[in-house]
Parts: sequence; C-alpha cells; structure tokens
Amino acid sequence: MLDTKRDIQTPEGLALTLYPAGPVPRALAWLLDFIIRLLCVFILSIPLAFLGQAGSGILMICVFILYWAYPILFEVLRDGQTIGKKTMGLKVVNQNGTPITWVASIGRNLLRTADMFPFCYGFGLASCLIDPHSRRLGDLVAGSIVIHVDRVTARLPSPPVPADNLAVLLKREEQGAIVNFSERAMHMTQERQRELADLLSSITHLRGDENVRKLLGVANGLLGRK
Amino acid sequence: MKQEDFVAQFNAEWVLFERWLNTRSDISAKKRKPLASHDINDYDFPVRYRRLCQHLSIAQQRGYSPLITDKLEELMQRGHHVLYRPPAPRLRRLFDFFLMEFPCVLRKNHRYFWTSAVLFYVPLISMIVLIHFYPELVHSLLSDQQISEMEKMYDPANKADSLGRTSGTNLQMFGFYIWNNVSIGFRTFASGFFVGVGSIVVLLFNGISIGAVAGHLTEIGSGQPFWRFVVGHSGPELTAIVISGAAGLRIGMAIVAPGRKKRVDALIEAGTEGVKLAMGIFAMLVFAAFIEAYWSSIVWMPDVVKYSVGGLIWALIIAWLWRGGRGSSYAT
Repeated sequence: MLDTKRDIQTPEGLALTLYPAGPVPRALAWLLDFIIRLLCVFILSIPLAFLGQAGSGILMICVFILYWAYPILFEVLRDGQTIGKKTMGLKVVNQNGTPITWVASIGRNLLRTADMFPFCYGFGLASCLIDPHSRRLGDLVAGSIVIHVDRVTARLPSPPVPADNLAVLLKREEQGAIVNFSERAMHMTQERQRELADLLSSITHLRGDENVRKLLGVANGLLGRK
Repeated sequence: MKQEDFVAQFNAEWVLFERWLNTRSDISAKKRKPLASHDINDYDFPVRYRRLCQHLSIAQQRGYSPLITDKLEELMQRGHHVLYRPPAPRLRRLFDFFLMEFPCVLRKNHRYFWTSAVLFYVPLISMIVLIHFYPELVHSLLSDQQISEMEKMYDPANKADSLGRTSGTNLQMFGFYIWNNVSIGFRTFASGFFVGVGSIVVLLFNGISIGAVAGHLTEIGSGQPFWRFVVGHSGPELTAIVISGAAGLRIGMAIVAPGRKKRVDALIEAGTEGVKLAMGIFAMLVFAAFIEAYWSSIVWMPDVVKYSVGGLIWALIIAWLWRGGRGSSYAT
C-alpha cells in the first residue's frame, strides 16, 4: 500500500515501472480542465448570443463536445494527457503501460457518471483510495491507469579520478553502492562526501578528502575506466 | 565486461535509436522529419528496439550503474510507447465499425438486449393500456404542469408552424436533443455499473413516463399530432434507449456474475463491449435528434408520408441490427 510503484512485464521480458497518481493531483487536473471548459463555454456564448435561438442550439452542441468529447479526444490524440493532466505531470495509459486506446478512453470517460455518484466524485474517490493503483471505477472498467510522467533521475558521470582498487573483495551490492556514491558525488557538498566516504574508513584506512578520492577511484575502476 | 567498455561498444547504436525516436516516431506522417542516409530505417525500428531491450537487460543483469540503466530504460520506454500505440484513426475503420461490428456486438449480447427491451416496452405498453381504462391515472404519474404543457404542445387546434415543441428553431432543438438525449443514453449505460440497478431504474422510469404521455394524449384526442410527430424518430431513439440499458446490464452482470474470470477482468471485457454499444447509441441518437428536429416537426406533411417514412426507418434499423456484419470477421 505504501509503495505505489507498479512493475509491468513487457513482451520483451523487461519491467516497465509505472508510478500511479493518487486522488489529489488528479482532482487538481480535473479542476483545471473544468475551468478551461467553463471558460470555453463562456467565450463561445458571447458571439453565439447574437444568433438567437440557433446560437443556443450550437452552444448546446459545443457543451456536449466539451463535456463528453474533450477528455476523450485529448487523451487519445495528445498522448494520454488533457491540458489539466499535462500541467500536473500526469497521463493515462492502458494498464499494460501501452498508450491509451479509443475504447479504453471512451470507457473511462463515460463511466465518470458512476464515479460522480452519489455526489462530488464520491465513489471515484473511494475506489481511488481502496485500489492499490489508485484507479477510479472508470479506470477499472476501461483497464486504464493514471500515472506520473516525471521520473526523478539526477545522475552525473562520476568525477574523472584515476582508477584504483581496494585490498578487499567487494560483494555486488557493495560495488553498486560505491558506484552510486560516485555518480551522486557531483550533487553533494564536500562535507557530505567526506562524511559518507568516512563510513568506509575501516576498509580504506584513509580519512577526509583522500578517502573520497580513493572511493571515486575505486568506482572508476569498477566502471572500467582507465 | 566492464561498464565503460559496454558503453563504448554500443553507444553509437543508442544514439541512432534516440535520433530515430526524435525525428521519425511521430504518429502523423507529416510531422516526421526526412530520413538521413545513416539513420535507422523505419522498418528496422522493431529490431532495433528489441536489441535495445536486450542491452538493457544485460546492463541490469550485470549490475551496471543507474547512469546507464536509467538512460536505456528511458529509451526503452519511449520505444515501447511507439511500438504499442494504437494505429492512427482511419475513416474506413469507422464505417466498418458502425455498419458491421456494432450490430455483431449487439447480437452477441442479445440476452441483455431482450431483457432491456422487456424492462422498457412492458411498462410503456402497459401504461398506454392502463390509461385507456383508467384515464385519471396520468395525474398520479405526471405533474399538472407537465400535463398542461404537453397538451398544449400536441393540441390539434394549435396551428403552430412546428410540431412537438412550444418554441424554438430546428437548429436549437437539434442542439438540445443532442445534449439531452445522448447524455441520458450515456448515463443509462454508466449507471449500470451499480450491479445494473441504475440502468433498470432508467428503463422502467422512461417506459412508464413515455407510456403515460402517449396514453394520455391518445385518450384526450391529441393522438394524431402526437403519433405523427414521434413516428419518424421513434425507431432510432427507442432502440437506442433499449441498447443503452443493455450495455448497462452487461456491465452490471459482470460484477454480479463474472463467471470463471476475476471480477476485474470480467469488468474490462464487459466495458469493452459496453463502450462499443455506447458508440452505436451515440450515432443512433444523433440521427434521431436530426430527424426529430428537422423532419418530425414539419406540420404540413401528409400523414401517409410521415407514417411510411417512420415505418421505413424502423425497417432499416431492424434490418441493420439483425443482419449487419453477418458473415464478416466481426461475427465470430
């Protein structure tokens, strides 16, 4: 429940990691879309008011399109994102991680009626909170899932320090930890680098800046740099 | 193999792959940039994608650093997105859907269709018959205001220039029918999610109120303008109401009795068919709205034309739903 990450097996045998979005960013995205649609109706109604009764007929067709078709067209044609979802960094995909299809998008948007029950998206919110992947009722029926687009990756190549090695044999995870340290080093202050490196003083028998250089060198050795 | 050697060996391929994604992967052919001589050919993309996937799993298996696995994973995700996206919409597919696939999906769900038809037509016809024998019954079903409005709308003495409305131009009524009727159709479908109860309530309610209106107007002698008005669009409209009920019941039943499937899987399957039915409902109700606004409202048309056109539309709809797509690949 706490970890919302969801791994999906692709046909190529790899894991595709999705990060399902919870009710709050989705509600904000919906609110933004709602305001945009309301503004559209308002702007359209000004020129159409001059057309009298015919204008009100056209306006009702526009309202129909904005109410039912707006989310569907955006989701399918704009890569799973309405304007609100794009602003919030969300998108909707099929639950196997592939881009949303017409049938799925129509399904999840028609089923909004059920989610809105009994008032104010009550059932949708309940379903969102109960489901491990935060799906509302429409998503359950359509087999879709709303995910976060942005993935946090802040890595820089490890600093160019001559390759080095340690006197002890390292386990795989230990090697990984040292390489991770070297690739994150550029984002850390000198003090933090020293502090982390000194945790390994018992192995390297060094302290401070020298220890940092030693570990960066080990990392470069593990990576295969000359 | 050390990570650096691995990168040195394959980096050029990844750069080309990324370049292809940036320049050639747009779904619209117009937005794709021209192919340079050293670029990956479009037809080679799936092969290149699988090769990249292989590189990624090797990198993961060997425990290479996130610097390289994250990069490959990003490329893999973008490639996955391109390879498995739905095809660009085609007009032909749309025709095929409405002419063939929709009737096939409906016939496949014939049990829901007939259940829905019974839930709708039995109260409708019973109301007409009941009001014939107990005319005062209408007052317990409709409010006085509704009754007087409808009596005025279909008053045979009323020499208005259009039937079936108190005011409004054709275009205005067209817009109103689309917004109102199609939304009701969609909601009838969606409310079936609550184990079918929503759809059943809508079907019964509509059956009773339409029956009450028809029965009452026939009794007070306004039958001629009323039936003249409704005969044209009744075919697509009433059938669409029944189908939207059927689509709702289909979803409701997937929750009540999922059969040998998980409920979630049964729900997705029911949702797919329900959505296809809803798309047909949309087309039928837009067609009905057009007839209702532009044809049914014409006053001067002789009865014989109105009734024969109405009959013809009914016949076409029945033929379409009964025979459409028979023998096609959708039928199996």
